[in-house]
Amino acid sequence: MPASPGLRELERRVWLRTFEHGLWDVAIGLLLLAFGIGILTEFYWLSAIIVPVSLPAMRDLARRAIVPRIGHATFRGRRKRSLVHVQLILTGLAVAGAGMFAFTSFASRGTAPDWMLWIRSHFIVVIGLIWGGALGVAGWTVDFPRLYAYGAILFGALLAVDLIPSGYHLAHALIAVGGLIALVGAALFIRFTRRYPRHPKPLEGAADD
Amino acid sequence: MTEAERDDARGLQIDRAIHEPARLLITAHLYVVESADYVFLMGNTGLTWGNLSSHLSKLEATGYVEITKEFVEKKPHTMVKLTEEGRTAFDTYRRQMKALFEDLPD
Repeated sequence: MPASPGLRELERRVWLRTFEHGLWDVAIGLLLLAFGIGILTEFYWLSAIIVPVSLPAMRDLARRAIVPRIGHATFRGRRKRSLVHVQLILTGLAVAGAGMFAFTSFASRGTAPDWMLWIRSHFIVVIGLIWGGALGVAGWTVDFPRLYAYGAILFGALLAVDLIPSGYHLAHALIAVGGLIALVGAALFIRFTRRYPRHPKPLEGAADD
Repeated sequence: MTEAERDDARGLQIDRAIHEPARLLITAHLYVVESADYVFLMGNTGLTWGNLSSHLSKLEATGYVEITKEFVEKKPHTMVKLTEEGRTAFDTYRRQMKALFEDLPD
């Protein structure tokens, strides 16, 4: 007979179940894709609008597709705060990315100090550290291990951009990693919809015992 | 003499509103969250709608849960929350059970 989980494990299982749907992965993937496509096409505004557009859209999709399947729960204390933190981290990722582009244009001026020039020459590794690190922190904050892997893949891809001399650009790396994460999220979402069909809702209060 | 009175006589003051297996599952799940709806509780406890509704009514009657009905986009939506009294009762039950089983000789 399998052992019953303790309350701590029960809480963790319930918490992790709310991430099984993959929509967070799709949101992160889209954020990186928007950055990549924005750089490639020089439509930089894409990365600026992705967070305010995608977060409400994801919330709406979650309300329509997730809640009828696994229901809705609000969490207490640490978990409640961590959800706010992860949204702040995702917003911070977008702002940090945009800030880095502004920084490099400032650092390319002749009057820029040496440390700025150093960061500018290793811009892609720095941005990989910031974004990869932010995903790792987000993973630790929400107790969501997949984010560690995403952080490592993103950092690895951006490090490769710095190491490979030509032909492989920051935009390509962001599109590749963003596309991969969004695809993983979409696959998880499809698996989720198959695993949890919509609950046929009987009349409230109808007792069968 | 009822079973509860017999337990009391043996020195076991178990809260039967929580002790029943289905209600224990419900209160344990409500204890680890702030509030949850029916679909969430059904999915996590494996109870049917009717069973869940019946047990929640009993827990509501004891004042352990608070059931709030609201309309979201013209559809009824019920949220369930453990009251402070329910949270304290579950804590007490947890301590009693822990003490009871830890006391058993190997």
